[in-house]
Amino acid sequence: MKVAWLPVSIREGLRCAYSPRPTVFNSPMRRCVLSTSSNQFSTSTRLRAGIAAPEIQFKEEGDGRDGEGKIFYARLLPESPSYFTAQPAFTDDLLALQDLVRKYSRLPVVKPSEAPRVAWRSLAEYRNMVGESVKASKYHKVVEVLRRLNLIHPSLIPHDVTKALNEYKRDVNPFQNVPKIIPVDEFGRACAIGRRKTSSAKVYVVEGNGEVLVNGKTLAEAFGRIHDRESAIWALKATDRIDKYNVFALTRGGGTTGQAEAVTLAVGKALLAHEPALKPALRRAGCITRDPRRVERKKPGHVKARKMPAWVKR
Amino acid sequence: MATNCIRCLARPSLPPSFLVNASSSLRIQSLPSTASMGKRYASKLNRPTTNGPRKNEKVKGQKTLRIKKKPPPKTGKPPQPGERKAMRKRIVLSNTNALEVPGMRELDKGLVGEWEMGIRDARRQAEEGHWVLEGALGMVAKEGAKEGEAKNGEGVIGQVVALQGQTVDSLRAVEAFKTTQGWGFFRRPGLLIREESVMLSRKLIQAEQGNLRLVIDGERGTGKSLLLLHAMATAFVRGWIVINIPEAQEVTNAMNDYAPLPNTNPTLFTQPTYTATLLSRINKANPILADMEISLTHSLPIPIQSNISLSRLCELGARDPDVAWPIFQAFWAELMAEGMPPVLLSLDGLSNIMRESMYLAPDTSKVHAHDLALIDHFVNYLSGKRRLENGGAVLAAASRSHAPTSKSMELVLKQLVELQKGEEEITEKDPFEKSYDDRVEWALGVGSEKATKAGPVEVLKLKGLSKKEARGLMEYWAKSGVLRKKVDEKEVAEKWALAGNGVVAEIERGALRMRI
Repeated sequence: MKVAWLPVSIREGLRCAYSPRPTVFNSPMRRCVLSTSSNQFSTSTRLRAGIAAPEIQFKEEGDGRDGEGKIFYARLLPESPSYFTAQPAFTDDLLALQDLVRKYSRLPVVKPSEAPRVAWRSLAEYRNMVGESVKASKYHKVVEVLRRLNLIHPSLIPHDVTKALNEYKRDVNPFQNVPKIIPVDEFGRACAIGRRKTSSAKVYVVEGNGEVLVNGKTLAEAFGRIHDRESAIWALKATDRIDKYNVFALTRGGGTTGQAEAVTLAVGKALLAHEPALKPALRRAGCITRDPRRVERKKPGHVKARKMPAWVKR
Repeated sequence: MATNCIRCLARPSLPPSFLVNASSSLRIQSLPSTASMGKRYASKLNRPTTNGPRKNEKVKGQKTLRIKKKPPPKTGKPPQPGERKAMRKRIVLSNTNALEVPGMRELDKGLVGEWEMGIRDARRQAEEGHWVLEGALGMVAKEGAKEGEAKNGEGVIGQVVALQGQTVDSLRAVEAFKTTQGWGFFRRPGLLIREESVMLSRKLIQAEQGNLRLVIDGERGTGKSLLLLHAMATAFVRGWIVINIPEAQEVTNAMNDYAPLPNTNPTLFTQPTYTATLLSRINKANPILADMEISLTHSLPIPIQSNISLSRLCELGARDPDVAWPIFQAFWAELMAEGMPPVLLSLDGLSNIMRESMYLAPDTSKVHAHDLALIDHFVNYLSGKRRLENGGAVLAAASRSHAPTSKSMELVLKQLVELQKGEEEITEKDPFEKSYDDRVEWALGVGSEKATKAGPVEVLKLKGLSKKEARGLMEYWAKSGVLRKKVDEKEVAEKWALAGNGVVAEIERGALRMRI
């Protein structure tokens, strides 16, 4: 939800509700103030608290014992010195991160290519987080600082840096999604699974002379259509490997076309285990990408997924 | 065949019998006029008188527009009775557009002789083997054997050999060629020599001194019928007498007349017409019968001379279906007499005779196929109950297309193949299966009670071609100009894999028939 355009008083409360870092604020001062104000929608919001100095405690209200020790401000003091900038939260964030860089500038760094790959929050997400209209170029400064912090050697990275970095990391790191490498086992088999439509195929590929068994049957028995047979061993054919490997496939579910094309994908994957260098060739042959299309669901009021009943005058 | 008009090449409008009469008699002048007049009158008389509203007249109160539908224009004449079937059953054995393949060997006495030499060599090696292996010359002997193999007709494995003209005529007469086989692609009929076919040929040659009972089994399209054809061709080359039942289905599917055979228990049924046509086929296919005279005396329902040839005997049987069966028996007795050539009895579509036939007995129960006299005759020899006296073979090929299931046959064949392979676990009978048939087991020489002395039949399980054979076949296609591709290892490997590990019919389908 976009908060930046809301009135300031509501903005704060909503941010607390929706923000991925609901109660964590950078400045310790802000934090201590906020902890006193529990009701987010009352007048004592962060803004109010930010502007105003702590509440005046009169001698009559207090016990009168420690009243003397407190400093009394005659004027309202802003919570943060960056209150008078256009984007105080952003400025605070940037300053805090720059502080960290300065503090740990002596720690050893790794090469940029060796640093762990991190996807930082997008500009829109960041704007949503702080509730301010931050320019792209400004946020870029933040990202640059974050990158610098990320270069610190992973084994020496301090706890507070990690904590700060985590706030700016995307919730899901796409770089962590690495496909598993299929091993070739002691018998020389590579096993892979492929799917298409509602079919799935589990395939063992071994070096051999081009024999193919699908569910214990030969290719001709398993698939009546020559087209299906061709697509089942398409990965081998496209790479000129038909007489180099034997294939043992088990397919379940769906129809013949689905099963044949599930075998295609599985054979492609298993072949990659034997010869990883074939990946570009296999991708060109269409044996890497899973076809996500499925049967479209039927809708109420329709005869099928899209078909409508015939129009009748009355 | 339809007779054609000489000038216009159109088929006659009048029935052929009428034409014959008109041309043979001298009343040519008067006949056509009367015929045409009669026709005209007949057409007037036959016209139906219609009193009701005509087809396109507007009926009162009818609002929809009716458009007259034109009948489709008549082009040509409808085919005459039997013409369509003749077209369907037509077998084309040559294609003048196909290229002639140079340097093709023929399946002749020379080639079969080489295979015979192979048997002798193998025997000799088996005799010598035990002491050669002991010596230090073991390796040398092995190499020598390999060279010998190449000489002894095994070099031809993976090549296509042509059939001799005489063999082709005979094979055509026994209906060994089938419409589904691609004979019409090539200049002249040829056969791929596979490992199995050489093996079978050698067995046949050996069977001249004994008896061979063999069932050819295999997946669909693996060449069972063609192996049978190869066996017949070998038999013709060796001078055997071949009796072939080309389609067992025709014998058992109740499309022929049948009659109970008196004095038989259980009652056997003869098929007079089928037997008559079989006799005529035998006569046509085996020209050597013309040189053989009757040596025994027979009690036949028709009087025959004592010195007629066997060919004439068959002719007599073929002419009159009523006496066909007794004459077939007499003919068979002659074949079993001393000094006659070996006999090849073959049948295609085994599972059709391994169950109840479609014929009904007088009590409306189904007649078991083994109760048909002709099948009974065949099964007696297949089971080993009777022996071919002058040597020979009984071959049966299973069929996988439009074939009924015979549980017992499937089981027995499976068990026999497992026994051959020497597997530890032999498939057992399914205790819950009710449709097992003891007679089938007996026919395959397996039955428990009346087990025959001869033992079970041999089973030849066909699989796909080897890559070498597939390559030879594809090279032959390429040389014939049918396959317009470079035949290299890659192409062969692809076609071989796509055809389900070399199933020959699938290779043909992928390479010749599915060209886009």
